[in-house]
Amino acid sequence: MAPPTTSTDYVARHLRFGWWSLFVFLLLGLTLETMHGFKIGFYLDVSNSARRLMWTLAHAHGALLSLIHIIAALVLRTFPQIATAQRVVISRTLIGASVLLPGGFFLGGVSFYSGDPGVGIALVPVGAACLTVAVFQLARTSTGSTSTQRSGH
Amino acid sequence: MTQPRRRVSFSVLTLLAGAIALGVAVAMSLDAVPSEQEVEHRPIAVDSDGYVSSQTCQACHPEQYETWHSSYHRTMTQVATPDSVRADFDNVVVDAVAGTPMRLERRGDEFWAEFDDPGWEGPASERPRIIRQVVMITGSHYQNIYWYTTGHERALNVLPAVFLLEDQRWAPRSAVVLSPPHQGVATLDGHWNAVCIACHTTHGKPQFETPFRSEPIASQAVATTVSEFGIACESCHGPAGAHVQANQSPWRRYTLHLSGEPDPTIVEPTTLDPARSSQVCGNCHSVWEFYDVADEREANTDGLPYRPGDALIDTRFVAQPTANGTTSEMRALINADPDFVRGSFWSDGLVRVSGREYNGLIDSPCFQNATTAERTLSCFSCHTMHKTAEDPRSVDTWAATHQVSVGMDSNRACTQCHSEIAADLSTHTNHATDSTGSRCYNCHMPYTSYGLMRAIRSHTITSPSLQESVEVGRPNACNLCHLDRTLAWSGEYLREWYDLLIPPLDKDQRTVAASILWLLKGDAGQRAVTAWSYGWRPAQTASGTSWMVPYLGELLGDPYDTVRYIADRALQTVPGYEGLNYDFVGNRGDRLATAVDVITTWRNGTQSRARRDPQLLFNADGILDTATMRRLFDERDRRLLFLRE
Repeated sequence: MAPPTTSTDYVARHLRFGWWSLFVFLLLGLTLETMHGFKIGFYLDVSNSARRLMWTLAHAHGALLSLIHIIAALVLRTFPQIATAQRVVISRTLIGASVLLPGGFFLGGVSFYSGDPGVGIALVPVGAACLTVAVFQLARTSTGSTSTQRSGH
Repeated sequence: MTQPRRRVSFSVLTLLAGAIALGVAVAMSLDAVPSEQEVEHRPIAVDSDGYVSSQTCQACHPEQYETWHSSYHRTMTQVATPDSVRADFDNVVVDAVAGTPMRLERRGDEFWAEFDDPGWEGPASERPRIIRQVVMITGSHYQNIYWYTTGHERALNVLPAVFLLEDQRWAPRSAVVLSPPHQGVATLDGHWNAVCIACHTTHGKPQFETPFRSEPIASQAVATTVSEFGIACESCHGPAGAHVQANQSPWRRYTLHLSGEPDPTIVEPTTLDPARSSQVCGNCHSVWEFYDVADEREANTDGLPYRPGDALIDTRFVAQPTANGTTSEMRALINADPDFVRGSFWSDGLVRVSGREYNGLIDSPCFQNATTAERTLSCFSCHTMHKTAEDPRSVDTWAATHQVSVGMDSNRACTQCHSEIAADLSTHTNHATDSTGSRCYNCHMPYTSYGLMRAIRSHTITSPSLQESVEVGRPNACNLCHLDRTLAWSGEYLREWYDLLIPPLDKDQRTVAASILWLLKGDAGQRAVTAWSYGWRPAQTASGTSWMVPYLGELLGDPYDTVRYIADRALQTVPGYEGLNYDFVGNRGDRLATAVDVITTWRNGTQSRARRDPQLLFNADGILDTATMRRLFDERDRRLLFLRE
């Protein structure tokens, strides 16, 4: 698949990513609920409380980030005049956050040390940094565009 | 242009109002929980000296916290709350006390009792009634002992009756310990603060102005505090303040996780050498005393100085008659209490009471003679303080079975070292491999210790011998199972199988079943453990039960309350005597009537004709030889005995 170049490409990319990501984390949520339903000790025992917390966080972050992708796509469609470089930064950091944040939480719950998550948790702060950059860029984009529109009036 | 600004202001105001409402709600809910520092009438739990309490440990060690939380260690002492009180206080009248019945009452979440003033020193007929709030509980496995506030600072005293959890009944406090009849027990004003606190709490500080009992409790300050009620994490791991502080750094935590190195800021008892690891348990599970008054004063103010990993004897005298029976410290203890040794040890120096298992361990050859740490017996060879994930038992089952490690309730406890015996078990035991006679525990850790109104396994690893019974008076493992056999009978087998010498035996030891001799002639401790074995299923299977009734019936009239209690419970396991209507602390006339009734019923029934063995004191016609019974009874060891469990 060719890399996106136009605003429409980016909109399509994030809509695609958002919906498929939401689908994946919906399945993860169903899996977690099933483990609740059948009282699976691997997930629910007190000895696995770190796993339960980490996977719950993976599910929550993954699902929310999926929605952010869809919202980002709408923002990109609303403001097609965003500079290409800025679009690239938003897109890459948002995708990075969507992989690293839930991925880090998930890996942190695969193997862990009593009350401490596994070393996979180290991906989380990197993902959080990516998300911060992406949201900041999106906010800046929205603010700049609004100002332009207001001054146009 | 102004309308949007007004909308923003409204939103901000709404948010602000919501935040304030939330803050007020949180503040009000926090106020609803009374702080320990505000409690004035009982000992309080406060963090001090680097102790931070199990609540702090829970955050990072949820699994360990959970298993500990389910253990009886946690509930060794509890504040009396609707969740912790197991007895009914709802306007209940308890007549199982000396004098006027005790009346129990609930006042909201508080528990109150009205009873005769135990501190009254005037004429008994004028003894006043007092009403006190029950504030603390010790024990939660077999008994609940309730402590009330005396009204003098933080000093506690004990209710005159104890609640027996299995029986769901009250019994006089003097009746639940093996103590001489009709002597009562000393008033325990301040006893919890001064004595129980050492092993029923974490880092307790009695904080008496002067040594306990050196002056009336009402005339001195009692500012007792603990780090935590019950035996909590820091009892075994040491104070965790430095550990918590150091591990706030994730870098440090993950460096330790990934390197596998132990954390030097906390003690992990299972990684200590076997002697030191067992001393962590011996901190409480031993017979010990302060070396001198200065040590007592220090512990009184600062808490016990022992910390896990220390050498236990650096800070206290561990009484071990087999090793230090002639030391000045032991002589001082005996001078202060002539029955000090007899109350806790058999005459050969082996411990005979429960809760002092460390004494048993250090007298065991598996501990004393081991040459490597891996093959040295320690408490952790068989017990675990945290149920493991591999253990299929429920956490409640694990806790109720003395926290024995998974698999260690079987021969694996011994064969983990003695593998050569496991390879051909019956050659060693001379019993069928799958029989109770081939269980290592039954021969090498027989039920010869006493505590909590039952026999418990000796924790001194020994091999059965006639010497221990003839010279010491301790029932041997053979005759605790083969209750219907003589010492001579056991001696013959021990000689044939293990080449053991038979000591000189008198006529009774050659001709009368050993257990009958212990029941009729033995002291109260021997009677208690032997009577318990009469109700022990493996012994009943090996010995039959039909002949036991007159002997257990005789014990229903025993002068010691606990012996009667044990005899009653044993008798109720004999077919035909289930549900026997007998109250071990009831009216003496009723008790004796029940005993006579039991024996008469047995004599008139078929059970009395089931066995005609002469060693069970039946003559050829199947008639019980009451004359010999009487003679043996007259030869009973009647020395008063108080077992200090």
